Amino acid sequence: MFLVSKFSGKTFIVARHEFLKTIRRKEFLFMTFAFPLLLAGIAIIPSLLASTTSAEDQRVGYIDMTGSFDFPESLTREGFSVGPLGAKPSTIEFVRYEESSEAREALQSGQISSYLIVPADFLETGVIELYASEKEMSVPGAELSVELSNIAINSLLKDRVDEPVLQRVKDPVNLKLYNVGDNGESSEQGIAEILASFGLPFLMAFLLFFSIFSASGYLLRGVAEEKENRIMEVLLSSVTPSELLTGKVMGLGAVGLLQIVVWLSVIFLGGGYALPVDLEPVLLLIALIYFLLGFLFFASMMAGVGAVTGSLQESQQVAGIFTFVAVFPLIFMQLILTNPDSPLSVFLSLFPFTSPASMLARMGTSEVPIYQILLSFLILFVSIHGVLLVSSRLFRTYLLMYGKRPGIKEIWKNIREAGR
Amino acid sequence: MHALEFEGVSKSFAEKNVIRDISFSVEQGEIFGLLGPNGAGKTTLIRLLLDIIKPDSGEIRVFGDFLSAAAKDRIGYLPEERGLYRKTKLLDMLVYLAQLKNVNRKEAQANAESLLKSLDLYEHRGKKVEELSKGMQQKIQFLSAVIHEPELIILDEPFSGLDPVSTKAVKDKILEYRNAGKTVILSTHMMEQAQKLCDRILMLNKGERVLYGTVAGIRKEHGKNSLLVEFAEKRSLRILQEIPGIRKISWREEAVEILPEEGTNVQGILQELMLRAEILRFEQALPSLNEIFIETVESVSGE
Repeated sequence: MFLVSKFSGKTFIVARHEFLKTIRRKEFLFMTFAFPLLLAGIAIIPSLLASTTSAEDQRVGYIDMTGSFDFPESLTREGFSVGPLGAKPSTIEFVRYEESSEAREALQSGQISSYLIVPADFLETGVIELYASEKEMSVPGAELSVELSNIAINSLLKDRVDEPVLQRVKDPVNLKLYNVGDNGESSEQGIAEILASFGLPFLMAFLLFFSIFSASGYLLRGVAEEKENRIMEVLLSSVTPSELLTGKVMGLGAVGLLQIVVWLSVIFLGGGYALPVDLEPVLLLIALIYFLLGFLFFASMMAGVGAVTGSLQESQQVAGIFTFVAVFPLIFMQLILTNPDSPLSVFLSLFPFTSPASMLARMGTSEVPIYQILLSFLILFVSIHGVLLVSSRLFRTYLLMYGKRPGIKEIWKNIREAGR
Repeated sequence: MHALEFEGVSKSFAEKNVIRDISFSVEQGEIFGLLGPNGAGKTTLIRLLLDIIKPDSGEIRVFGDFLSAAAKDRIGYLPEERGLYRKTKLLDMLVYLAQLKNVNRKEAQANAESLLKSLDLYEHRGKKVEELSKGMQQKIQFLSAVIHEPELIILDEPFSGLDPVSTKAVKDKILEYRNAGKTVILSTHMMEQAQKLCDRILMLNKGERVLYGTVAGIRKEHGKNSLLVEFAEKRSLRILQEIPGIRKISWREEAVEILPEEGTNVQGILQELMLRAEILRFEQALPSLNEIFIETVESVSGE
């Protein structure tokens, strides 16, 4: 096979050079590390802010005019916000006052941060008044109202109903969603599952698309640059075109793999605590296989484009056409997610240009038959072989030709002639 | 063993013949000139020998055999179209190019450092290529061709863009390599340099071989039997008219070129001259490679 037979020491030297050169690029460092940090930042910072403000311990005064409320001495709250930082518990200490004037003095002298008044007509109106100083930054209103509800329910119903009824009144309904499959099995669908089935496939498909294109974009740029600044001739006096092509594809494939592994780890680590999400190892493995195959497919195509065109700018324009085809599954993502077994979805998940992202999306939403996955692997594999064959011929023929870009007819003729 | 042999090699691009039935050989340890006007096919010939492109017909043997990957590592190549990684540091780039010739990293590093020192570029080793002047880039390009200590060095226009000092430095390097028993193929337009440096030459015109042989032999062959005479005093020129058997007199720099009539005894002319004036120099006049070059190209295009 082409790839295996051309492996040589020089191929690895080229691969190593391309790898090191690319991972030092500012664009790469930004896309790989700053980009997920930025996304994670957007997701985490608000909850961090929320948890730090509510994490302080407070003393809250109360005046019970009904005389029937049973305030506990103190109350420990679990962290309300997401993330490990939010899990820090905070306590509210309740202090009883008889008169509102006493409570006001305590508030002004800073002994308590706020106080509650339960009016005598609470049963009719349901109103509890919360007084806080103007200077107080964090008023525990929203969180407190849940606790107060429980205290109120306890005070009103305790000893009148059984414990299970009391619990039901506090937490009346939990709605659960079930999907009924074709074979009559039903599966539970909570928030996590909905996220996993819609959000994750989309995210994975998006990342896959992105890393495939940034890596093969580097390849295109590398080839076009080397051709433009004429170093190609020096390189070709040392290595064969196929050694060069294979080395570049390997080096930049490793770059893309590194990038996608960094991204997936961010989702894994970040997602693990921000969202209750499980990534199935099998899905991950298949995603990596799709990455490798998809990258090989596009990268060898880009290498051919870079070899034929004369300048970086021109090559990027031509490459844009391929990119456009590959964006298709992202445009049709909604259709794939809602209707994963329609003929169009199946076609997109088998067609080599679109299969990596589309198949991953389908796998997230429905049970894709194994034979279809294997078939798409096979189609990709065969297409890679074909594209590599064509690209390495173009590489050989056009790397040292400058000036006018050859017409389609001439390129076709050269591809056929080179095969003889 | 020949360092290089071409046997009946032809190559055409898009129906246009670029190289037509070329045969020649390069001996080990010589400086071989590859001469010819623009578009004569010199660069194509070099690319053929490097196996960058394949010939349509004929055979090319390098070090006595078809070019293998191992043989490629013994060749150094300076292309006419200069190309370097613009954003890579000098030392890193040289090491990478040497590694592509199967030189291990450490050795490549050591070679690169000593070569940079020898051309006074060591202080720039950490700079990027784009930060260097044009002349320095040229020298770096030359270094990149010899960093792996090749046995066959192919230099395509090595002097273009170099100032006289750098030209001399590169020339000294070329002679140093020849003296070390290495083979140098020099493709150039600069006939003066070729005449001084080359042992043998191949001249191409429109893809065909027009001249081939030793520089001395070719010059002798193209000599018109004329004589070069230098007098101690310029006014002595008049006396030439008194001597019989001279067909044509022409000035050449410090001397006078005399074309004797056919069948005239050259010794006789010398004796006559010595009787009348003080002679500093009397020699057979050989045409320069430049003259032969222009004459050959013009006569071919005049056909």
